[in-house]
Amino acid sequence: MTRLLQVIFLIAPLGILTAESISYDRQVRPILTSNCYQCHGPDAESRKGDLRLDVESEAREALKEILTRITHTDPKEIMPPVKSGKKISTSEVATIRTWIEEGAKWEQHWSLKPLKRPTLPKLTESQKDWTRNPIDQFIRAKQIEAGVTPSAEADNRTLIRRMTFDLIGLPPTPKEIADFETAAKKTRDHAISNLADRLLASPHYGERWGRHWLDVVKYADTCGYDKDKLRPNAWPYRDYVIDSFNKGKPYDRFVQEQIAGDALFPGTADGILGLGFIAAGPWDFIGHVEVPESKIDGRVARHIDRDEMVSNTLNTFTSATIQCARCHDHKFDPFTQKHYYSLQSIFAAVDRAERLYDSQPGLAKKKANLSQRVTDFKKDLSALDEEIKKEGGAQLASMDKEIATLRSKAKLKSKRPEYGYHSAIVKSAETTKWVQVDLGKTVNIQRIALRPCHDEFNGINGGFGFPVRFKVEGSLTADFKKPILLFDQTKNDYPNPDIASVSFQTKNKVRWVRVTAKHLAKRSKDYIFALAELEVFDDTGKNVALKAKVSSPDSIEAPIRWRRTNLTDGHFPIAADEKAIGVLQKTQADREAIVAKLRKPERQARRKKLQDQITATEKELKGIPKGKMVYAAATDFKVQGNFKPTKGKPRMVKVLHRGNIQDPRGDVQPGTLPIFPKENFEFKLTANHPESARRAALAKWITRKDNPLTWRSIANRIWLWHFGKGIVETPNDFGRMGLPPSHPELLDWLALEFRNSEGSFKHLHKLIVTSSTYRQSSSQSEEFDRIDSDNRLLWRMNRRRLEAEELRDSILATSGTLNLKLGGPGFYLFKLEKTAHSPHYEYHKFDPADSDSHRRSVYRFIVRSQPDPFMTTLDCADSSQSTPKRDETLTALQALSLLNNKFTLYMSEQFASRIQKESKTLKGQIRRAHQLTTGRPPNAQEMEALHSYAQRHGLQNLCRVLFNLSEFTYVD
Amino acid sequence: MPTHSAYPHNKESAPQSRRNFLWQSGGGLGGLALTSMLGQEPLLGSGILTGTLNHPPKAKRVIQLFMGGAASHLDTFDFKPALIKYHGQKSDFGEHVEAFQNGLGPWMRSPFEFKRYGQGGKHLSQVVAPLGEVVDDMAFVHNLVGKTGVHSQATYLQATGFQRPGFPGMGSWVSYALGSENENLPTFVVLPDHRGYASNGPKNWASAFLPTHTQGTTIFPQRENPIPDLHAKAEFVTKQSHKEGINLINKLNSDYALTRAGDDRLDARIKTYELAARLQLSATEALDISKEPDHVLKLYGLNREQKNYPKEINVEEETEYFGRKCLIARRLIERDVRFVQIWSGNDNSFPRRNWDSHEDIERDHGPLASGMARGTVGLIKDLKQRGLLDDTIIHWTTEFGRMPSTQGSKGRDHNPYVFTNWLCGGGIKGGVTAGESDQWGYKPLERENPTQVYDIHATMLHLMGIDHKQLTVRNNGIDRRLTDVHGHVLDQLIA
Repeated sequence: MTRLLQVIFLIAPLGILTAESISYDRQVRPILTSNCYQCHGPDAESRKGDLRLDVESEAREALKEILTRITHTDPKEIMPPVKSGKKISTSEVATIRTWIEEGAKWEQHWSLKPLKRPTLPKLTESQKDWTRNPIDQFIRAKQIEAGVTPSAEADNRTLIRRMTFDLIGLPPTPKEIADFETAAKKTRDHAISNLADRLLASPHYGERWGRHWLDVVKYADTCGYDKDKLRPNAWPYRDYVIDSFNKGKPYDRFVQEQIAGDALFPGTADGILGLGFIAAGPWDFIGHVEVPESKIDGRVARHIDRDEMVSNTLNTFTSATIQCARCHDHKFDPFTQKHYYSLQSIFAAVDRAERLYDSQPGLAKKKANLSQRVTDFKKDLSALDEEIKKEGGAQLASMDKEIATLRSKAKLKSKRPEYGYHSAIVKSAETTKWVQVDLGKTVNIQRIALRPCHDEFNGINGGFGFPVRFKVEGSLTADFKKPILLFDQTKNDYPNPDIASVSFQTKNKVRWVRVTAKHLAKRSKDYIFALAELEVFDDTGKNVALKAKVSSPDSIEAPIRWRRTNLTDGHFPIAADEKAIGVLQKTQADREAIVAKLRKPERQARRKKLQDQITATEKELKGIPKGKMVYAAATDFKVQGNFKPTKGKPRMVKVLHRGNIQDPRGDVQPGTLPIFPKENFEFKLTANHPESARRAALAKWITRKDNPLTWRSIANRIWLWHFGKGIVETPNDFGRMGLPPSHPELLDWLALEFRNSEGSFKHLHKLIVTSSTYRQSSSQSEEFDRIDSDNRLLWRMNRRRLEAEELRDSILATSGTLNLKLGGPGFYLFKLEKTAHSPHYEYHKFDPADSDSHRRSVYRFIVRSQPDPFMTTLDCADSSQSTPKRDETLTALQALSLLNNKFTLYMSEQFASRIQKESKTLKGQIRRAHQLTTGRPPNAQEMEALHSYAQRHGLQNLCRVLFNLSEFTYVD
Repeated sequence: MPTHSAYPHNKESAPQSRRNFLWQSGGGLGGLALTSMLGQEPLLGSGILTGTLNHPPKAKRVIQLFMGGAASHLDTFDFKPALIKYHGQKSDFGEHVEAFQNGLGPWMRSPFEFKRYGQGGKHLSQVVAPLGEVVDDMAFVHNLVGKTGVHSQATYLQATGFQRPGFPGMGSWVSYALGSENENLPTFVVLPDHRGYASNGPKNWASAFLPTHTQGTTIFPQRENPIPDLHAKAEFVTKQSHKEGINLINKLNSDYALTRAGDDRLDARIKTYELAARLQLSATEALDISKEPDHVLKLYGLNREQKNYPKEINVEEETEYFGRKCLIARRLIERDVRFVQIWSGNDNSFPRRNWDSHEDIERDHGPLASGMARGTVGLIKDLKQRGLLDDTIIHWTTEFGRMPSTQGSKGRDHNPYVFTNWLCGGGIKGGVTAGESDQWGYKPLERENPTQVYDIHATMLHLMGIDHKQLTVRNNGIDRRLTDVHGHVLDQLIA
């Protein structure tokens, strides 16, 4: 237990080191949070004794009682109760006692306090000596309080190595080091400033810093869960992130694009690409595609999916752990279930799917303009028709009325799933197709009826496949060598009969009846012959073709709809009033004749011009390159099994009691966290707002200038990514369960500096990397280590191990194989097999000589459920969860990976052949190799050891050794 | 139920102190050695609870057998005479049932015969009959309920206690709490199905927000490199160049560390290379079953000679692969690996090689169950004869059960409403049944009183000396634990 208590002290806030009065925010609230809020906090349902300690007015009345109960000797009375397993320690009791004695000063939780530019700390002139900018002043002030002093400046080689890895994630080349050393000899400040500018202007800056962002948002190129299906178009979002960093996109715009770019920046590629954020996390393929939303499991999958979107958004942008309020009100922060479900309703209409975006800017606008023109022309055309109609007067009006009545009478009443006979599909209308029936014996026939098909395909409906020209023949032999012509329609076109039967009298003696189509009906871009039923009536009026044997040279045979036997099964589409069909067709023809007379030459010309304009504009519209696909938030996409688009109609979201999908309670409106006390947390939206308005409202709210969480959150992340430690050590949790900032004023200063510089990352980077704080050496001091072993006061720089990507990229860079191509689809570090069902990602079958893979690691194809073992051993981000900060572990498996992974081994060979080309002597080669891996030549002792090893085992083994040096894997 | 944290540890907030660093770096692969070398308190790096267990443990190790795809309780361990009586009659569940696919056909008896075994007369199906020999050591839970009929979510739930990605596997929690007793082998080892991963793949044994070293190390015994990167496969690397190479690396890294005094990581890194060299030897040795005597091989149903198996799923092949994993599990446990997880059944591709028998119970469950039972009985008997069963828990599980009605004519649909687990050894009381299913095996007999995965996990942790409510880690605002906010220790199961 003692060990654990020591740990508690170690993570206790720094305030404890100084002699200030007790801070409620930093010292008292953490004790209350851990021990009391469970039963006396924001969650009303689990609140005991009607006592709430997170609200000042209620807690203040209970102060005396609190002190009595937490020090009570009776196990029945003591708080927290014995059975909870919690205990407030003696020192914690003392803290609370002192705080009460000092007047129990309350404070708002630090992260929710309004942003205010802090005054710079007061330093004497000599104390100011070391400082270069306000960052240093804040850092120095805290150091003075604790009695530590800054370390000396790092040397030039260390500094350029540190800055190069930090800003672009690659090692500096020996030449870059030499150039920097030369420049620094003249004016160091100037050289450092230039170095920072050079690195920040490099396209590789975005590759390094974009990766930080992708860590937080759980980016991967597969879905995760069961099957772990590929997302072949996730990468445009990855490239968008990299590009946004490179372009220096203002942070508020960056945020807005990722939540509601479609609504706020319509017509831009980035407005769609940014939405890849909402889709970046895991997605349950089976739960969406195989299980419908009507089933409980289907609803659960979609509920969890919304939850993932809400937590990803709020954790990433505001460092708020809202997901804790899914099943009950938040136990520690003032967020209720209602707030949580209000946030879910914002994402109620979107799903994760492929979505079109325009790869060239302006295309969408051009497309919209052209579409508008087409609409306008069509409007003119109908105005012209209206003119004609008016002139046609009462006659035309009464005909139109009659046509409408007939149409409803002629409508399809019923049809069976057995549609009929359907020939093979051909490219030309002028193709002969036939089908015939065998009546079984010679029959005296009286009448024949052809029943047309009905199919909604391509909007054709009635008369589907009915031939334009055809004939009907009878025969006494199956081969029709001596045909008897029964009906001939081969000279003129037959108008589409809709579903009315085409029937004719014919007195003949035949056994076989054949229908031959000479000019086929159009289907889409091709032609067919289809018929629902062939009826042959004998002199008693009986259909002797019923169930007769059908034959034809071809048939698509796609049961149950289409097959030969359907031609004589007695089933065909039935109209409500079959006679009406004929009358309708006649009336329509009469009307056409009248209208033709009214079309005067002038009108004809106008009409032709409009039609030509429509054709031309539509052609131009077609010529615009089609957009590309990105995996993003979408409301319209191709149906995949049970996974269907909402088309923008939000799903119903209600407060779910205990998070149970089968227990919905109250209604919710789109809304957000209640952090502005005087404002309603629900958004003001119009009654019929499009779904994207909800996301737009959230995006606007997050990027408000006065949102205290947003700007603090990102400032802290930037700091953490530079120093390896945040000012707040819980970067995704700025709530009461998170840790307080070590330098609250510095955090606020950075947040405002960042916000006021239009959210410029590069501005803050420059300030940080040119500060005295950043320029310190990373050497230890035993004395200061005793005072502040975690270096939270930054009295030295933090040494760090290279991240997985940096290490892999460094191996590629030093071995001379690195291909610096930017962007594009991810490369595979595995062999992909069995993609049809559950893809297998076979890492052990990967060939490291595959040159497609010799690219920067940020471009690798990231498999969510089956992560790359090599990169995982080196602590790469786990895309199943948000990774605000990389782990830095040391394991034997890591040593084995760097020694034995086929990538390292192959690259050792490549490295060896590179240095053989670059130097002639063995010693020269060793010097060069050492320079490339560590940035410096070996000293005499090192040279001797390396030389002796290389002589015995060769350069390839030597290169393998160099990749395993701590000096290669660490940055001072 | 409230969560409490007697061991507050915030992974993201913990300082880069010496201690935290050791938590992150130590454990499975060398925490012990690191701590002793660096002069730290012993055992600290090997697990946060070592030396401060909540109560004396009965079990030290776990072997978990996971049947991927959802094994049918009705055709293995949960005998239902009513299904024989009403076989072929229209099924009536007395309520609306939401089936995953369309498996609500007539009642269907098991295609396998059941007989009584052991002193307790427990009914077992013919395909798991070999387990009859040890059935008196086994404790059954027939009223386990899941939360979903979707494989991925259900597999996550059984493996990590949560229905979604982002949570540590049970083996990771145990490694985190207890660390390793053998620094030369991983703490948590996973033997996946050789044909591929079940739902969610390696995420079922990921460390998530726990230190990375607690994640399961996968071993594919039949591969060239059973543990990834265990040996260098390159012509230029010889035994001598490897050995001297590590020496040279360590020498240069020592010099580097010397000029940067006070940074423990740099010393620890040297130690990891020494451990790596030891791991190369010990892992190779642990996985080599060639010296196992014939009678031991026979116990697991294994033969020495390599066989060519037919394309169709068959008992011999299933026995060979599962038995081999069981034997390796024993060898690992013997060498004090803390947690071994064996998977049977790969992904849902075709032809089926997992327990998801929608089409034909007899075709798939027959060989899979026979192979599983043969290897498992060998494992239990072997552990027993070596005195290892007393402190090793064997846990048999799956993501959910299967319906008592037919799907198609010979298959069964998903049944998340009830299924079976069994446990054995490590302080488990043999011959008991805690919780029954109803007469059809559709839902628990006592619907208001089901068993959940949290209860199984709580019980296993309890046997290992851990109070499941006390083992927490703060992550993103919540003190997380394996059992979420649930879990009761099942006293009936404890000897």
